[in-house]
Amino acid sequence: MAKGPAAAELLNQRFATQIKPLMTQYCFTCHGNGKHKGDVTLDKYATWKDVQADKQTWTTVMDVLSQGIMPPEEKPQPAKKDKELIAAWAAEAMDYIDCSGPRDPGHVTLHRLNRNEYNNTIRDLCAIDFKPADDFPADDTGYGFDNIGDVLSMSPLLAEKYLSAAEQVMERAILMGNPYAKKVKRFTGIQMEPTVGQTADSSAWNLSNNGELFKKFDFVTAAEYEIRIQAFGEQFGEEAPKMVLRLDGKDILTFDVKAVGRFPETYRYRGKIPGGNHRVALAYTNNAVDRNNPDRSKRGDRNLIVVWMEIEGPFNAPPPPIPESHKRVLVATPGRDGTEDECAAKIVRNFATRAFRRPASVEEVAGLMRLYRMARANKEPFEQAVKIPLQAVLVSPHFLFRVETDPPANPEIPHPISDYELASRLSYFIWSSMPDDELMQLAANRTLHNPPVLSKQVRRMLSDPRAVELVRNFVGQWLELRNLDDWTPDERRFPNFDEKLRRAMKKEAELFFSTVIKEDRSILELLDSDYTYVNERLAKHYGMTDVKGEDFKRVSLAGTHRGGVLTMASVLTVTAMPSRTSPVKRGKFVLEQILGTPPPPPPPEVPALPDKREDVQAASLRQRLEKHRSNPNCAVCHQRMDPIGFAMENFDAIGAWRDKDAGGHAIDTSGKLPNGQVVDGPENLRKVLVSRKGDFLRCVTEKMLTYALGRGMEEYDRCTVKEICLSVEKNNYRFSSVVDAIVQSDAFLKRRGKSEATALVKVEGTEVKK
Amino acid sequence: MSRITRRTMLRGLGVAMGLPFLDSMVPGTVLNAAQAAGTTAGGAAAVAPTRMAYFFIPNGVNIPYWTPNKEGFDFDLTPTLEPLKAVQKDVMVLSGLTLDNARAKGDGPGDHARSAAAFLTGAHPYKTSGANIKLGVSVDQIAANMIGSQTRLPSLELGLDKGQTAGNCDSGYSCAYVSNISWRSETTPMPKEVDPGSLFDRLFGAGNDKAAAESRAKRYMYRKSILDFVAEDAKRLDRQLGKVDQQKMDEFTTSIREIEKRIVMMQKQEAEQKKPDMARPEGIPGDMTEHMKLMCDLLVLAFQMDITRVSTVMVARDGSDRHYRWLNITEGHHTLSHHGGNAAKIESIRKIDRYHMEQFAYFLQKMKSIKEGSGTLLDHSMIMLGSGISDGDRHNHDELPIVLAGKGGGFIKPGRHIRFPRNTPLCNLYLSMLENMGVKQDRFGDSNGRLSTLML
Repeated sequence: MAKGPAAAELLNQRFATQIKPLMTQYCFTCHGNGKHKGDVTLDKYATWKDVQADKQTWTTVMDVLSQGIMPPEEKPQPAKKDKELIAAWAAEAMDYIDCSGPRDPGHVTLHRLNRNEYNNTIRDLCAIDFKPADDFPADDTGYGFDNIGDVLSMSPLLAEKYLSAAEQVMERAILMGNPYAKKVKRFTGIQMEPTVGQTADSSAWNLSNNGELFKKFDFVTAAEYEIRIQAFGEQFGEEAPKMVLRLDGKDILTFDVKAVGRFPETYRYRGKIPGGNHRVALAYTNNAVDRNNPDRSKRGDRNLIVVWMEIEGPFNAPPPPIPESHKRVLVATPGRDGTEDECAAKIVRNFATRAFRRPASVEEVAGLMRLYRMARANKEPFEQAVKIPLQAVLVSPHFLFRVETDPPANPEIPHPISDYELASRLSYFIWSSMPDDELMQLAANRTLHNPPVLSKQVRRMLSDPRAVELVRNFVGQWLELRNLDDWTPDERRFPNFDEKLRRAMKKEAELFFSTVIKEDRSILELLDSDYTYVNERLAKHYGMTDVKGEDFKRVSLAGTHRGGVLTMASVLTVTAMPSRTSPVKRGKFVLEQILGTPPPPPPPEVPALPDKREDVQAASLRQRLEKHRSNPNCAVCHQRMDPIGFAMENFDAIGAWRDKDAGGHAIDTSGKLPNGQVVDGPENLRKVLVSRKGDFLRCVTEKMLTYALGRGMEEYDRCTVKEICLSVEKNNYRFSSVVDAIVQSDAFLKRRGKSEATALVKVEGTEVKK
Repeated sequence: MSRITRRTMLRGLGVAMGLPFLDSMVPGTVLNAAQAAGTTAGGAAAVAPTRMAYFFIPNGVNIPYWTPNKEGFDFDLTPTLEPLKAVQKDVMVLSGLTLDNARAKGDGPGDHARSAAAFLTGAHPYKTSGANIKLGVSVDQIAANMIGSQTRLPSLELGLDKGQTAGNCDSGYSCAYVSNISWRSETTPMPKEVDPGSLFDRLFGAGNDKAAAESRAKRYMYRKSILDFVAEDAKRLDRQLGKVDQQKMDEFTTSIREIEKRIVMMQKQEAEQKKPDMARPEGIPGDMTEHMKLMCDLLVLAFQMDITRVSTVMVARDGSDRHYRWLNITEGHHTLSHHGGNAAKIESIRKIDRYHMEQFAYFLQKMKSIKEGSGTLLDHSMIMLGSGISDGDRHNHDELPIVLAGKGGGFIKPGRHIRFPRNTPLCNLYLSMLENMGVKQDRFGDSNGRLSTLML
């Protein structure tokens, strides 16, 4: 932990005077002096640097020492205090870092907006609820996240989608013409829907019996309309055929249709009709037939024939409401705000500035205006013509990429990013979207980078509803919750898993994290909390009885075995197999995502667990796994993963509580970690994890910093991570303190250029960065 | 109207009038391909172009159920290959091919990432979770680069995996390696189209567009102008960037140019664009069989209508743990592939392998049902299916399961099982296939020759 070259020298001296003699005595007989039993050579290390270059071997050394695997029983054993001495030195050596110099902020590769960022940016830029990126190809991921600049590539397929998305966005955002302009729409009799009758000729309809002929019509707004019907009757008896005009089943007006076939007449109604979809019906109500009258002259058949119906309107309509998107984009109206050219320039400048997330340059606006003039000269209406440059903005690299530039002189020396670049880093980190007006204003004033201003903005942004994106995108990927969307547990073993349960699981995690963010709670609540959110479906799944209905309620977890993210059904499900739990998978998940100490991947050609019914019945999963672990190659890592996973075995593969496993064996949740710590059951596991909050904090910090910067962690980031952790500890682990410390770090506030991809040199199969 | 405006407009109009070079180009190159294939030059004008497609299946197969015992013409159809019965005379089973660069070579675990990455590139991926991704250009893209300008879409990348997964992809490899088999450059993968509806729009947009021809022409013109502007924009930006970022801008500019070319093609083909005999599919079917069928139907149409001649189909990303529940299989594909000799798991793997083969057989039969010139569409194609891993339990990359279908316009003599000497590079096959597409290369990936026995 000590800093500076003196501390480094001290570490190396301790190795020479204390550690090396011990190792010579107990280890080098087999793993040194030219011997390398089990392919392990231990006498090639002399300094902390050597140890850091081979952390994997040294982690194993610490593990086998503490577990008593090495030295083997028949060999001389070091005293407990000597073992501890070696372990303590190794831990310090691995952890040692000199943080006395300036920080290297690293290079963030030109970052293309990913699908979420694109959708959100379009939403905020144009105020439309439209997600064109859902149709884009999936973004590739790196370091566990889909916002890594290096991995987000461009392709012709994507370019094609961008072009067409730009057209669709403008189509939806801008209102063309007046939707309330008066129109006439005519429907011939046969174009309407009848309840009775038959065609009278090629286009008219004969209502030969009591019944209706109707049409559903969308009245654009509440206003006066005129409805005209051309009709005639086949007359019979005293009365003329009656034609009742009905609106949504209500009689409006009744016409006596006295006209005859050779001279159809037009019947009119004019009146106020509310906006929206209405059923306009013409009802025939007084049918009369007499075919059997002895007086042949009194025989006959009365019918109503509808030739067509016209709807005209609206008359005297109010001015149409301008959609928010239209106002957001077309910020000037010719005539009112200046000439067409002036207004177009204003619209283009405003849109490009917001889309590029920094002021559009004079040249950029001039170039875009040429597109406008071309379209206008091509006789496009003003709104249509102005769409063309706006579409170009949406395909411009300045919109599609988060551009950060370096000064032309010495670009590779770390330098602060501009306040506009900072605004984008902030907004895409916390909101997965473009900066809002307030951030842009602070950037324009060049005050955004001031630490107090930044802190205030972080607090404000976290309490904004858009911060839910941090849950969806950061937490969703960190805890692999996104995998729940496509998850299909074996329906024969878990018949009660359905869409509702899946959604409830997801919602629980989302609400829990949103609470931690909104109420600025301690991130240690992720490891252990006394509350969560459930609705009736999830409560039932958890064995709780007092929550009813679809809505989620915050409930106490006292007495439920649950608490923290690891006992959420969502996490328990995605860390299981579809048909069974996997203590290994869950253990690995905790090591990787919670403690940040991933085990190395398994050696090739490892036989997996037998899973036949006979095997399941013959031995418990634990017994089967223990058999598997008897192979020393597997043992080293499995002794780290399995005890953690076993402690969670009371939760089945969809996160419900159980006392027996699928084979009917009582569940044994006890185990021992390599450091000798005992774990037993979920409550105890929580305590163990909280006792390792340092590892957890470092893990969260590394993951969130990766996500915030959109690049992988490098060796030089270790000091930054350490400093962030210190600051969070000082602030009682409050969520905002993690975000704040990240945002205030040099890695976030500065950047440096990179002129060449890191040269890679292969040396005997291992890669060395130069 | 300013001077520049007029010029931009004229450029747009010039495009609308069609470019003469396209007319002369198409038959010429087809002829070359035909000559390379050794067909008689007599009916050159009627010679159909050669198409090429690669189907990728993840996680290897169960080799004992796959490999025929007999070699040569009367090879036996094993349980997994049995669905190919109706097209047995059109397929060739190739045994003994190897993907050496999918091997670890000191990089440790990550066989699934390496197998997908090396499958069509023959290259060894640089191990990284994100920074400095580096692989090689895939065989389909080499073909697309050479002959792609003759069709509206130089190539078509298809897949069935809907989204990405959260979490790590494979042992320290970026998901880019796991989820893509087609690579345009050493650093840039070609993403896949997975939605049949979107694919339909891309293929038939012009022919199916209800807008009047006049408004379409206008839209093309504006699109061209927008792309011109954007290309200029990118060029200016490029000058402000460092090398690494310039690489990203280069990806962008190349893509933009590609789209410009497509618009030119669209306009040119406007008149001759026929409507497909198929309704636009809506969304991605939840059912894999239906999804695969739609993608196959659309690919057949794309080949038949000569919208593209090169394609890749990724049935699933490597390491996919997809659940084949409709086959009554309860565990995921990848989980099962590590069967450790367990008979029940092997049986499930066999079912999955056979299922994949049934889907492939559907595609081949459809290709065969379409008459083209004196033969069928399949006769004028080379359709390969395979995996970058041989046995999913062992993760070995020799003895790969590879099937090649079609006659490649007469270049291939199918209906056989050929066994190649151990460790024959799979890339030798690619080199031969490229040659038949009219693309002469001395080497591809780790190739050390051509597969002369394909022709007999």
